[in-house]
Amino acid sequence: MSQAPAPDADDYEGAFALLAEMTQGFARSAPLEETLRSALDSIVGHVGAESGSLWLEEAATKDLVCLASVGKNTIAGMRLAAGEGIVGKAVRERVCQAVFDVSQHPDFAQRIDDASGETTRSMLCSPMVFADRVVGAISLINKRAGDGRFQESDSSLLRVLASSAGLAIANAQLATAQVENETVRREVALAAEIQRSLLPERKPPPFPICGVNHPARTVSGDFFDILPLSRGRIAFCLGDVSGKGMNAALLMAKTASLYRCLARDAASPGVLLARLNDELCETATLGMFVTMVAGVLDVSRGFLRLANAGHEPPLLRSRAGEVVALDADAPPVGIIPGTPFPERDADLEGGVLYVFSDGLTEAGTATGEAFGSEGLVSLIARFADLSLGERVDAIAAEAGRLDLRDDLTLLAVSDEYRGDGDTPA
Amino acid sequence: MVSLSGDIDLQQSPKAREVLLAAVGQGDPVVVDLSGVDYIDSSGVASLVEAFQLAKRGGVAFSLAAVHPSALRVLQLARLDRVFTIHEQVADGL
Repeated sequence: MSQAPAPDADDYEGAFALLAEMTQGFARSAPLEETLRSALDSIVGHVGAESGSLWLEEAATKDLVCLASVGKNTIAGMRLAAGEGIVGKAVRERVCQAVFDVSQHPDFAQRIDDASGETTRSMLCSPMVFADRVVGAISLINKRAGDGRFQESDSSLLRVLASSAGLAIANAQLATAQVENETVRREVALAAEIQRSLLPERKPPPFPICGVNHPARTVSGDFFDILPLSRGRIAFCLGDVSGKGMNAALLMAKTASLYRCLARDAASPGVLLARLNDELCETATLGMFVTMVAGVLDVSRGFLRLANAGHEPPLLRSRAGEVVALDADAPPVGIIPGTPFPERDADLEGGVLYVFSDGLTEAGTATGEAFGSEGLVSLIARFADLSLGERVDAIAAEAGRLDLRDDLTLLAVSDEYRGDGDTPA
Repeated sequence: MVSLSGDIDLQQSPKAREVLLAAVGQGDPVVVDLSGVDYIDSSGVASLVEAFQLAKRGGVAFSLAAVHPSALRVLQLARLDRVFTIHEQVADGL
């Protein structure tokens, strides 16, 4: 760069006017691309260059993509690999590059000239940096006046204008990200709504089965279902999908839907789990499985048939308050096709079966300890006098009061109301 | 042979998963030494299941060995002791 003559007052005035015009342009809510194109036009005109281009760094690839150009042929849309050309050098080194004779420069990218139909002799290129992040670069080609060299004052002006443009671009990118986040948030909320619709509606006593589900996040990997069958029997299940987040929620929806389809026709809970397991294994994602309890209650006899696929042992609490844990007899569903799921029978004799996900027992207590099944047993005793619906709500609320790390689901199958009223159809 | 150590929880299981899947990907029989793991949560179990399933699909032998009693309890509770081949000692699996 040659020794620059001292800029006169007109230069300053013109530069300030340009900066003010650009800043006002960025403050308007016009589309950013349009504003940048007109800003580039003004910069090229003010500095007295033959042409110019504005490049943005693409977040995913780090490629530089030409957003706008002024000159003979447009090169908008052209792509430079990270570090390619003098533009790439300006971005990589975060330093304004002033080159008098590009033909002698090792980094010059001839393909830009091939595309633009111009012959670059001299070049000035400033990176656009915002908050330590390079967002792109502005490049000016061939100074019209004098010997064709860009002056120190041109370089200073371009750096200031590039900062202003960088700020506007970073702002626009943040706004776009915010809109995208909001869209995702809305979609997750919709997914959660669909999930809730998969859970059965609660029926008042003397209906003997009642459940509750509190997702730890918006969507849940847990589910339960209650399905009246013929001859006074009610099918029920509770499942917990491995993992958390949207993939667990999708597998939850799939498993809950399959359960609904299969439960009406399955001869017994073990047969149902075996069919469900085979279906899930056919289309499973590796490493994702479901621990699950399925059962059928014969309401008029208080008789229960149960199959447990790798799930946290349900607790059977007798009318006298004694508690027995019913361990799993088979691994979770979705791992090995052809797995048999043994059944066990139990007479409730006025007692209640509590089936729950580990979100309940692993919920934190005030001392930071996990709640544990002992915690659950004491809560059940504490709320034993409440009606079934009030009881499951109270237990879930108490267990999830402090620190809910995982989805919390509780299902109670009761023989307390036998003979109290109509048996459900 | 693959040795895992420390707690395999939500933080550590992605790394354990990577190690397990890489081992299975080699195609030789895999014995997972769990003697250094005294705590495993559901995400750790999911990583073991995923490696097991991948091995099964590729016809690669996959087994666990020297499982710490507390981790074994977790596997037994979910009846995953019926899924995995579990050796008492690492040497038994080799």
